[in-house]
Amino acid sequence: MIDQRVLELVMWAELSLLVLSLAVFFVHGLWLYFSDKRDARLTAEGRQALARLLDGEGTQSPADVGILRALPRDVQTTVFLEISKNLTGGGRRELNRIAGLTGIFDRARDMCGSRRWTRRLKGARFLAQMEQSDVIITKLLRDSHPAVRAQAAEWAAAHPVPEVFDELFGLLADPETLSRFAVQDALLRMGRDAVEPLARYLENHSGQAAAAGLHLAAAMVEPVFIPAAISHTLDGLPEVRAAAASLLGAVGGAEAASRLVDLLDDPDPDVRAAAAFALGRMRHWPAGSRLAAVLEDSSWAPRRAAALALRSIGGPGVLLLRRAAVSPVQRASDIALLALDMPAAAR
Amino acid sequence: MTHELQNLAQALLLRGELLVLLYFLAVNGWYLVLLVSSYLEMRRHLILIADESRWRLLSSELSPGISMLAPAYNEEATIETSVRALLALHYPRLEVVVVNDGSKDRTIQVLRDQFDLVVVKAVYDRNIETKPVRAVYRSATYPGLVVVDKENGGKADALNVGLNFAQGKLVCAMDADTLIEPDGLQRMVRPFLHANDVVATGGTIRIVNGSEIRSGRVVRARVPTNLLAGLQVVEYLRAFLFGRLGWNRLGGNLIISGAFGLFRREAVLAAGGYLHDTVGEDMELVLRLKRRGYETGGPGRIAFVPDPVAWTEAPESIRVLSRQRDRWHRGLSDVLWRHRKMFLNLRYGVTGLVVFPYYVFVELLAPVIEAVGILGLLLGLAFGLVDWPFAFLFFLTAYGLGTALTAFTLILEDLSFHTYATFRDRTKLFGWVLIENLGYRQMTVFWRLRGLWKFIRGRKDWGDMTRKGFSQKSAVAPRLR
Repeated sequence: MIDQRVLELVMWAELSLLVLSLAVFFVHGLWLYFSDKRDARLTAEGRQALARLLDGEGTQSPADVGILRALPRDVQTTVFLEISKNLTGGGRRELNRIAGLTGIFDRARDMCGSRRWTRRLKGARFLAQMEQSDVIITKLLRDSHPAVRAQAAEWAAAHPVPEVFDELFGLLADPETLSRFAVQDALLRMGRDAVEPLARYLENHSGQAAAAGLHLAAAMVEPVFIPAAISHTLDGLPEVRAAAASLLGAVGGAEAASRLVDLLDDPDPDVRAAAAFALGRMRHWPAGSRLAAVLEDSSWAPRRAAALALRSIGGPGVLLLRRAAVSPVQRASDIALLALDMPAAAR
Repeated sequence: MTHELQNLAQALLLRGELLVLLYFLAVNGWYLVLLVSSYLEMRRHLILIADESRWRLLSSELSPGISMLAPAYNEEATIETSVRALLALHYPRLEVVVVNDGSKDRTIQVLRDQFDLVVVKAVYDRNIETKPVRAVYRSATYPGLVVVDKENGGKADALNVGLNFAQGKLVCAMDADTLIEPDGLQRMVRPFLHANDVVATGGTIRIVNGSEIRSGRVVRARVPTNLLAGLQVVEYLRAFLFGRLGWNRLGGNLIISGAFGLFRREAVLAAGGYLHDTVGEDMELVLRLKRRGYETGGPGRIAFVPDPVAWTEAPESIRVLSRQRDRWHRGLSDVLWRHRKMFLNLRYGVTGLVVFPYYVFVELLAPVIEAVGILGLLLGLAFGLVDWPFAFLFFLTAYGLGTALTAFTLILEDLSFHTYATFRDRTKLFGWVLIENLGYRQMTVFWRLRGLWKFIRGRKDWGDMTRKGFSQKSAVAPRLR
């Protein structure tokens, strides 16, 4: 038997929770309403003060700096970040000088040194978006939290200096996906500045570390990577050989083509597929007969890549596909018919 | 003798009621754990996304490609606007794969005319066996559009064809009536960038009824005035914000809404794609991916993104809603039955020991236990074994904690996204929370029981899903299959 008093007790407790949640819900709504209004007013004041300061050309009013300094931290951050997206060159330098006067950079630096990763992330995010050069962010590239490392890498994209490269290449094979993605993206955004360091990196690394670099190099497409790519086609890991094949296909050239043809006999199907795909990308018609042989490959991926490669070569490739379509080897004829878009009855 | 029987019935009823009350307390206690977990998870999420620069993802050559799979069946009236809405999503490497599932109307002609389609020779791997493909088209004006014309085989078959043709590393499956936020894909892709072992992500789905829609986008979220739609807003908030978000931290989710989910294509292909013979094909796929992760030692994490990413239309008629809930429960029963091997199995870690049993005892069997409780109480009242004040008190106690927890969900939403900002919306929302347990919940118990019964009897039909449709302001409302 349930004691009625227990039920009453439980019910009153539940009712109290309900009333409490009702109060919080509506009080929070009111607070949001008023704080939004206040923030909107302060943001408008801050924008005007900042606009006057940026427009002042050396004759800046300390009162405007005072207005910016007095703003609540979140509003201050909003005011600077929203305008920073639209400024470059001299305007950006002036904005950063004003931000320095308000003490906002000092606060961000303090946050970057915090023991809590959430504060470090916030500090790094602000400095990165303001494109503020600071040695403390370079240190954050070695942070223990991947989100902070990723944020520091985002900042690094705009700072192509030797010490930053060293740190970034050290993170190229980061086991954490988030920071690895950010590092690769940062190096790609650095463009030509990153080419030489990446070529050196490829010369000095092998295995998984090299694979990450090869993928990146394939997106950059520079002939300087060819020697390293050729040497990596002999790597023990199939993933590295496949990445090297893709890079060779992207860059092109006689030396690359010759090595790619050799890779059509690689023991790993993914490497054979990557080599066939790369030859198709180069439209290397002299490799046509070798590609036609791959149509009989026991794995689907190389067969498909070879068929597509032959199709992209044009006339000679289509001729070889037509021959393969009547081949006694069923899988070769199937893939050739598929590539030629011919019905099976045409066999 | 009669007196003895009455005593026995009384004892059974009271013990049964005690069991039901304990069940309610246990379930709501677990909900409390989920609520705390979702609060912590939300806090972490908001820190990670505050001031993040998503434009980097938008302009990066390294962003993973996404293929939107859009099965279409007899959609000649809406296919053009639907496809245009998909092509307009803000994502850098986006491919839209429209699969015409043997439509009997002019769907394929409309596509050909409106998107300058040309027949292409496609060499594709039939990773998953499907109904034959008639033709493959590419658009001369939209490089990211692929249209596959195939023989009719149902939604799962069409999705499997889409999987065979998709080139993206990730594939996105969506429902007919889903409005995706323009930056929804950028938000959904985050977990794949954060961890290697994520195979699928789902996002928060909100109810669109009553909201202001322009050009296929929700420009102002409002709480619906319609009773059924309003109650579903509360249900969805609870299910997504503290149900799924809470599980993110406690062992992972088992459900990704079929309305909008993002999957790692390779993992879905390795798992064999969508199953044809189930009404819960989306949940089945998610559970199979998770199970496979454990069995092969490969990736298998299912992540949930709390940002509102998509909007769906809630049924406003009891008939349609009852069919939907009936079908959902049949799907749940079917999926849990198919993967019953995972139940309390150490091999499947937290999923086998905590998540799966939760779904069995709380999600699957809740209507049975609740029905027993309601029936017992009514019988007790009828036979004079329970007095009215006690019954009333019992009812309030049993549902009170649930109501309070739902109210806390509103606070969680308000602290994070505060989608419903006006005083009027807040009042309506809280009103729906207060009345949810007065009749509506009991109706859902009945519908779910019916679904369970139909599952036991082996029914696998979908039932008719007529909806009101988006307002006239909705110029672009996806109505794909």
